[in-house]
Amino acid sequence: MTGPAIPETPLFDRQGSIRGYKMNKMAMSLGRPENREAFKADEDAFLDSYGLSDEEKAAVKARDWHGMVALGGNLFFILKIAAIDPAVMTEIGAAQAQMEHGEFLKQRLGKM
Amino acid sequence: MAKIIGGVGTSHVPSIGIAIDKGLTETPDWKPFFDGYIPGKQWMADQKPDIAVVIFNDHGNTFFLDRVPTFAVGAAETYKPVDEGWGPRAVPDFHGATDLSWHFIDKLVESHFDPMVCREIEVDHGLQVPMELFFGRPENWPVKVVPIWVNTIQYPIPTPQRCWDMGKVLREAIESFPTDERVVIMGTGGLSHQLQGSRAGFLNREADEAWLDGIANDYEKYRDMTREDYVEQFGSEGAELIMWLVMRAAMNPQVELKHRHYYAPASMTGAGMVVLENA
Repeated sequence: MTGPAIPETPLFDRQGSIRGYKMNKMAMSLGRPENREAFKADEDAFLDSYGLSDEEKAAVKARDWHGMVALGGNLFFILKIAAIDPAVMTEIGAAQAQMEHGEFLKQRLGKM
Repeated sequence: MAKIIGGVGTSHVPSIGIAIDKGLTETPDWKPFFDGYIPGKQWMADQKPDIAVVIFNDHGNTFFLDRVPTFAVGAAETYKPVDEGWGPRAVPDFHGATDLSWHFIDKLVESHFDPMVCREIEVDHGLQVPMELFFGRPENWPVKVVPIWVNTIQYPIPTPQRCWDMGKVLREAIESFPTDERVVIMGTGGLSHQLQGSRAGFLNREADEAWLDGIANDYEKYRDMTREDYVEQFGSEGAELIMWLVMRAAMNPQVELKHRHYYAPASMTGAGMVVLENA
């Protein structure tokens, strides 16, 4: 799929896969309880052990869901961070859309 | 020979599983969604299948980006629920219909498909949730499973036509499998949703309703659509709907739409199901 892009719709293609590899690998590892403990105990050291750049570390530490995706994070991997530090899916969605949560629910999902 | 008793298309949204785990199925947000599945569940109970072939995608839980199979087929004795970050869910292990799996793998390769063959692997909500929606939460699953994974995460994902062609091989495999077992095919994923990018929260109720009506007997247009069309109409993650085509292709050209249900949004997703029988 290399045709014209669909607006506001990043597809996880080779560029994203290459760029986001380290961040996604870190997030994937959170599927194991011992890694979740290590993340909670010393987040900086944990992120360093996966070789994340300063920019990537900042995005993860801020739980900047928009920023993480912009840096090549794929939502399905980085969602494991939301399991450690609970965030609901629609909040993460609102962050992607860069909208306030209530507005996002109303405008995008049709919830009153 | 084994018999295809029907085809099911259904969403596999993880929040559905969480709603079941947390006992939220009777809340105003969820009750209409779950109520719509009651006829499907009843159909399944009446039909008494022995084996469920479940076509789904992994969501970064079992496969990492170090190896991404376009198609993978399970040939394991047992599939445990994978830890998706919250700890493994309390759903029973799934037992594999290993002989049918291997028979299908043989047929696939003879037909020039090249699947990854998985002997030891866990399964995520993509398989768990459809099973819970149609079989509830029994102590032991009443069916054995043949899991088929389709890559819908990293592009290039397979084309709709390729999913269709795989469904044809699936039918041939089931109908040449020398037992009298009853097989249900479950195509899962969708409906419209987008979780990433500034179009996140995109829903297309009109396209979802048209899909649920059309997948039965007006399927050609969906088989012939491009991947870009799927992303545009159903959202980046809504392109999972290509996996229903595997199920649909394994059925007769004409089918009877026995049950149909739509509810939106389930979390951020247009959600629903169809139950099809060969006409």
